[in-house]
Amino acid sequence: MSVIIGDGLAHRFGAEMALEGVDLVLDSGEHIAVLGDNGAGKTTLLRILATALRPTAGRLSIAGLDAVRERRRLRHYLGYVAHAPGLYPALSAAENLQFFSDLQDVDRRRVDEALDVVGLTSVAHRRADQLSRGMQQRLAIGRAILHEPRLLILDEPDASLGPDAAELLTRVISDKTVVLATHDHALANKLCQRSLVLRHGRSVGTATRLRVVR
Amino acid sequence: MNPFRVALAVARKDLRSEWRTRELVPALAQFIILALLIGNFGFQIDSRSAPSIAPGILWLALVFAGLVAFGRTFAAEREQASLEAMLMTPASPVAIFAGKALAASALLVICEAVMLPALSIFFGTPFSADVIAAVLLATVGMAALGCLFAAIVARIRARELLLPLLTLPLWIPFVIAGGVAVQSAMGLPGNYQQAIGLLIDFDILFVVLTSLAARFVLDE
Amino acid sequence: MNRYEKAAAVGVALMLLAAGAIFLYAPDDALQGPVQRIFYLHVSSAIAAYGCFAVVLVGGIVYLRNESVIADRFARSGALIGLLFTTVTLVMGMLWAKPIWNTFWTWDARLTSTLVLWIIYAGYLLVRRLAEPGRQGARLAAVVGIFGFIDVPVVHFSVTWWRTQHPGPIVVNNALPPEMLATFLFTLVCTLVFAAVLIAIRYRIEALLDAKLRIAEPIQVVPAQRPEAVR
Repeated sequence: MSVIIGDGLAHRFGAEMALEGVDLVLDSGEHIAVLGDNGAGKTTLLRILATALRPTAGRLSIAGLDAVRERRRLRHYLGYVAHAPGLYPALSAAENLQFFSDLQDVDRRRVDEALDVVGLTSVAHRRADQLSRGMQQRLAIGRAILHEPRLLILDEPDASLGPDAAELLTRVISDKTVVLATHDHALANKLCQRSLVLRHGRSVGTATRLRVVR
Repeated sequence: MNPFRVALAVARKDLRSEWRTRELVPALAQFIILALLIGNFGFQIDSRSAPSIAPGILWLALVFAGLVAFGRTFAAEREQASLEAMLMTPASPVAIFAGKALAASALLVICEAVMLPALSIFFGTPFSADVIAAVLLATVGMAALGCLFAAIVARIRARELLLPLLTLPLWIPFVIAGGVAVQSAMGLPGNYQQAIGLLIDFDILFVVLTSLAARFVLDE
Repeated sequence: MNRYEKAAAVGVALMLLAAGAIFLYAPDDALQGPVQRIFYLHVSSAIAAYGCFAVVLVGGIVYLRNESVIADRFARSGALIGLLFTTVTLVMGMLWAKPIWNTFWTWDARLTSTLVLWIIYAGYLLVRRLAEPGRQGARLAAVVGIFGFIDVPVVHFSVTWWRTQHPGPIVVNNALPPEMLATFLFTLVCTLVFAAVLIAIRYRIEALLDAKLRIAEPIQVVPAQRPEAVR
């Protein structure tokens, strides 16, 4: 079953085209990597897929729902790790997740489970601004999986994770449908069955377990 | 999830952050004391003229402290990119907005708790329940409007510049009614009951309108 | 001449005719003398300004309901032209007030609320300039436009309650001699037509700017063919 069906997705900021007509079909349980240079449109595409940004043209359905008009119904279905962690610096790791578990309306026990999955149990009571950049990234991932989403959209989560990024991400994404933006082709090959390469807002190729030739 | 619980969770989160960092309230309290100081030098204040000048200084200090407080509530969320994370949850944007407004007005009330005694110490004006009631009633509607426009300018360049320009015209009715209420509470002529009635009417009007508009401002 | 140039020519011609009526046809006011002739354009442009801001209000509401780019362009045009007419109203009012009230300014309800009106829509135009063009800027500006329109009667009411010394509307109670009334109604019609012409021209400019910035029409998103149930 297709989880994501995107057809001609485009976004324009003023006169500037950030994304021009990207097609994407993703089946349930599939992991796809979105590759490309900085400014190629990866973040724009991921924000659109996460329903954080409206496409200015194109069609998008997620889990059979219109991802623009019915996006509120998709909130339970998808989790999104944005480029910036988006944490509250003065709250502890656990308090950050507790706050979002309240907004997500999930049991507070999920907080401990999520902290465990991302390996932050030992620093649960440390303030977010005293965590390293990598730990903040883990916390953001922990927040995205609080409500156990079936679809996970990750924007360069490996950027600051360090050497055990692959191991952590494998654990997090195992049973989910995943869109992963990254610079790291080795990581993409390891975690994802397919890749989509963006250049200047256009898709310049999709491949299965590709060796990307630039 | 129950929107009231969402609003309370958001407000609690903001107040807890403020309690940990103690950034905003001390700065605002100092700002208010400084405004009283400037007012003292800008006007010739003696015991006879104090009741006619002190209310003006009170509203000037409150209005500008309010602008700073409401500007910070959404600016901080934008800088930390956490607003988007909140809006990605199933929680209603109106409830999130209400929580932000609740926290910001609580901070402003704390500042008022500094300002009103200071005003009466420095200028010898009466510090009565009537004055407190008028200021608190004005805070309700001003907080709703201030937060709405803070949410608007948070998405715009030059937000520090734009927030006063958009917010102050809408606060004028509160300053008019609140001004008369405080003046009459300090012994000048004026219909206190009528002014308080007006403040309540404005509160209801703008709280309803802002909660209708919040959806369009926060959505996406 | 294209149709915009023709419309502009008609608008200017009408305003010149109105000027003729004001200076040649209308009689001198018994009390105020020639300075009373300010009244015709002063009140007409105030009414035209309210009309323009009503366009902003309706445009904003329609935009928030169905994201029509056309409604938004009308709102943008209305705000700019309305601000122009508010400026005319304020300046002419001050010029009139100086000889009659012996002051340029007094804090009565009409003056205060007109000044607030000017500030609000100047802010509206700043929002339009500073916000990202397109959907976001349009939505935020729509909210500003709607609140601005609501605020003006509220400010007016509060200041009236506070104090007032402005003369009430004298047209309604038949105090105006017939020649003056005729001149006023003629000036009003000419000013409204002129405002409509200005809005139409500004609409065209906004449409061209949109085309340059390539502001898209709202997108059509259709549900997918192969649905999968959400948990």
